[in-house]
Amino acid sequence: MNSESVINRIEVGIFRHRLTVLFLFLATTIFLAYQASQIRLDASFIKNIPLNHSYMKTYLKHQENFGGANNILISVCNKDGDIFNEEFFTSLKGVHDQLFFIPGVDRIQVKSLYSPSTRFVEVVEDGFAGGPVIPADFKPDERGLAIVKSNIEKAGIVGRTISDDYTCAMVQSSLMDIDPSTGKKLDTISLANQLEDQIRSQYEKGNISIHIIGFAKMVGDVALGAKGVVAFFGIAIAITALMVFFFSKSFKLTLLPIFCSLVTVVWQMGMLTVIGFGLDPMSILVPFLVFAIGVSHAVQMINSVKKLVNQGYSAKESAQFSFRTLLVPGMVALLSDTVGFLTLLSIDIGVIRELAITASLGVAMIILTNLILLPVLISYMSLSKDSEEQLEKNKNIEVWKKLAVFATPKAAKVILSITAMLFVAGAYYSQQMKIGELHAGAPALHEDSRYNQDTFLITDKYAITVDYISVIVEAYPNACTSHETLAVMDEFQWKMENVPGVDSAISLASVAKIVNAGYNEGNPKWRSLSRNQQSLVQSISRVPTSSGLLDRNCSVMPVILFLEDHKAETINRVVDKVKLYASELNNEQLQFKLASGPVGVMAATNEAVEAAQLPMMIYVYAAVIVLCLISFRSVRATISVVLPLYVVSTLAQWLMTKLDIGLTVSTLPVIALGVGIGVDYGIYILSTMATRLRNGDTVYNAYLAALTERGSAVLITGVTLAIGVSTWFFSDLKFQVDMGILMTFMFLVNMLAAIVVLPALASILWREKK
Amino acid sequence: MKQFWAFVFSFLSFVAVADQTPSPSWQAPLANKSLLLDITTAGADRLVAVGEYGHVLLSTDGENWQQANVPVTSTLTAVYFINSQKGWAVGHDASILQTTDGGATWSIQQFFPHLEKPLLDVVFKDELNGLAIGAYGMFYRTQDGGNTWIKEFHEEFLFQEDIDYLNELKQEDEEAYLDERSSILPHFNRITMDGRTLYMVGEIGLIAKSNDFGKSWQPFDEIYQGSFFDLERTRKGNLLVVGLRGNAFRSLRNGAPWQAVDTETQALLNSIVLTDTNLLYILGNSGVLLSSEDDGQTFTHHPQADGKALIAGTVFHGKLIVVSDVGIKTITIFK
Repeated sequence: MNSESVINRIEVGIFRHRLTVLFLFLATTIFLAYQASQIRLDASFIKNIPLNHSYMKTYLKHQENFGGANNILISVCNKDGDIFNEEFFTSLKGVHDQLFFIPGVDRIQVKSLYSPSTRFVEVVEDGFAGGPVIPADFKPDERGLAIVKSNIEKAGIVGRTISDDYTCAMVQSSLMDIDPSTGKKLDTISLANQLEDQIRSQYEKGNISIHIIGFAKMVGDVALGAKGVVAFFGIAIAITALMVFFFSKSFKLTLLPIFCSLVTVVWQMGMLTVIGFGLDPMSILVPFLVFAIGVSHAVQMINSVKKLVNQGYSAKESAQFSFRTLLVPGMVALLSDTVGFLTLLSIDIGVIRELAITASLGVAMIILTNLILLPVLISYMSLSKDSEEQLEKNKNIEVWKKLAVFATPKAAKVILSITAMLFVAGAYYSQQMKIGELHAGAPALHEDSRYNQDTFLITDKYAITVDYISVIVEAYPNACTSHETLAVMDEFQWKMENVPGVDSAISLASVAKIVNAGYNEGNPKWRSLSRNQQSLVQSISRVPTSSGLLDRNCSVMPVILFLEDHKAETINRVVDKVKLYASELNNEQLQFKLASGPVGVMAATNEAVEAAQLPMMIYVYAAVIVLCLISFRSVRATISVVLPLYVVSTLAQWLMTKLDIGLTVSTLPVIALGVGIGVDYGIYILSTMATRLRNGDTVYNAYLAALTERGSAVLITGVTLAIGVSTWFFSDLKFQVDMGILMTFMFLVNMLAAIVVLPALASILWREKK
Repeated sequence: MKQFWAFVFSFLSFVAVADQTPSPSWQAPLANKSLLLDITTAGADRLVAVGEYGHVLLSTDGENWQQANVPVTSTLTAVYFINSQKGWAVGHDASILQTTDGGATWSIQQFFPHLEKPLLDVVFKDELNGLAIGAYGMFYRTQDGGNTWIKEFHEEFLFQEDIDYLNELKQEDEEAYLDERSSILPHFNRITMDGRTLYMVGEIGLIAKSNDFGKSWQPFDEIYQGSFFDLERTRKGNLLVVGLRGNAFRSLRNGAPWQAVDTETQALLNSIVLTDTNLLYILGNSGVLLSSEDDGQTFTHHPQADGKALIAGTVFHGKLIVVSDVGIKTITIFK
């Protein structure tokens, strides 16, 4: 056969020039190891958002004017009493000045009690009186503090700049995408470190505590947590090594697969640097995964080698023969993994695309390291036969015979009907799977993490929340001087305030009403939008552009909605209502556009994730089906492999519903990865079966042969992979825990499905041929 | 033909009361938490509150509120009921609304957004005779229960030099004269009926009384140049007036001159709430709630923690029900 001759040629080519091959691998490894040592953690806000989503286009268009969603909030708190003491004000000033000088912080946007834009206004008989809340000649003595206290009350900043209970004060700013001092992309992680080093560790002492939240800080904490992954990596290697040793009973055959898999990881990391990527904290798990997949394929290799050695072949012959038999199924399996990862490219979110590239790169490397390097290395080993006693034990023939019953039509009926029931239940419950984040706080981190504790403290003590969405009103220049425009905004705002989940809202319209009352002696009866244009302009003119409520020429004005939380349901409800009221109120001159603010980003991400889910599944299954059809040239074989896989994906969604894990940027890839990796088991088992079936063997016999040949390898692979990912349960990062749970489930259950459901299906599909 | 003229007539009469068709108020779940500006009782068993976005809220227990059907979204500033069924509400866009079913449904008697001014209070002597007052000395009178409202210009609130100036302007430039005339008077903030006497308070220390239901007014001598927002005759028969920056004054029935009362607050005082006893309350911005049991000579502070403006109130079934910029509040005072 043609393909056979190709394989032959490859085999001969490689094994005749073993030294050359080894040298090439060595040189590449040295080069890539150097490159890998240069790798850096790389995170940016922009990578986490679906840039081409219509909301995000609006967001990016107006980011310059309104600072966008990438903010930093620092709450300085007194643990023992209120803020009115010298120690507190000294610390607050220190934090304000320090934040101002951190590169990447938008200095114009730095706001606190100490910023000159924090002013109070009071109504007196002949108009307004006002000034900065902290006067120029402020001294933190009793008199000075008393003045500041009364200014704070007049300024109406309690709940925003000062906590409701007067124990904390806020310093906040937005961050720029480009660091102006270097002209390069802002290094979010280094900024987070600076916040920690220059602010938290400097000023958190005595009674003063510092609470920092915002995307940059969150990423910094995620990166920190991600470093803990290195420890898990060590544990995973150790456990894996034990498993492989238990399987191979050979020191050499344990060391080699681990070594080759580590080489893969080095290559992958090196390649990332070569193509100019960093490692995002969100995809830090990928090296793990690549290692685990590498080992699982290596296990197939040593399994085959061992069997051949025990039959009396030399190490070289065994290696060469194993290479020949495993090249095709190994390639197919690894290619389907690669394609599974590549389908993630269809999702328009930077981090997921990076994950797709990082992971597919890694898996492609496995083809070289574990299918070529490993057998070549093995060929140099001197391997001895197992003892007769051991051999007998290894066969496990009794166990396999029991398992092979799954391939009889009788058992198949039971298995398939149970599977069908599980599938129906899974399909039913998976309908309730939620899109987006289901928990309060930063979902990447645990609830009891410092970051989330700080988030809870800030949302608890202040009226503000980090969960807000800005609806951008796009109008025409000087639109804000028109009563009509502001009245429409006001109506929109009021209707949105009535939507459950919206805590409060602010816009130029609502502020203009308050200012109008201010101009009328503070009389609440004048708290409305003046129809008189001069009065209206007078009111608007008191709202500076730094308020973030209007742009320079007053053609763009956000309506900012503060939400109770960022749970998917809340976001959906609010976004739906925004769309409804926008469609009622939009006209030629004025449009309400979604969206900016952290929740605006989440809404876009949720929509992008939801929209990506179906196409991604279609692509990944299409890829798996095509690859199976090519390698088995049989529809029945393809069905036997793919159907159990689909049932398991459905069950995984059920699990997500049950465990309150939402479909997010971090869990969406798991489904694709799970399918891509889960298909390996089926492919290995069926590749042996298919040959036998083609030769007219019964399904039972074919399956028994497959089990004897590959069964223990498949079991070991499944368990190894599952153990590797289950170490993530102990991660500091919530999303890693979620991914770990789902991956472990996918690996174990896909293995079970390949051993139980696949033969049952095969026994039905090949029945008439018996 | 008859029908045609009927049509033209109805069209003309419509133009007379409204210069554009307003949109009706939206039924909002949070209407009772919105900015509400006045509250009163319609009969003994019904509360009516009015406020922003044309909100009118009704309640029979002070706890559960229903939003009425209102044909405008203008901010309503005051409400007055002559009996349990008939009432009027006024507000921005010089709106005047009437109800004849205890507040459930309202119809427009006047809607003039082009004036760009709010009406701020309304009072009725009987079912036919009423007054509506507002910004820049806006003053309307009806003698037919509100079917027609006639504008009046009360020159008695002008200084002689203002009158001279206006007359001069009238000779030179009619348009400028009308423009000036429409904004030369002070804001009329509140009108209070005390038997046959009417009191009105407003901007620039305005306090005035009328014995002929507002046809002619006698301004009091100026005691303060800031604004006043409410005036009431106490149970003991003395006058109490409150205004800007915590200012309050008393005038005893014996006609002694006004005396300043120390309220110990700088907040704007919105209104006075009388009770069946000698206890009275003053409501103010910044969560200011004062009570007095000695006829307004001394006050006890009951600051409301949220610091929201308390705007108007009434005692209903023994409870103080207040409207604020965050809606209805039932305030229990612990002594």
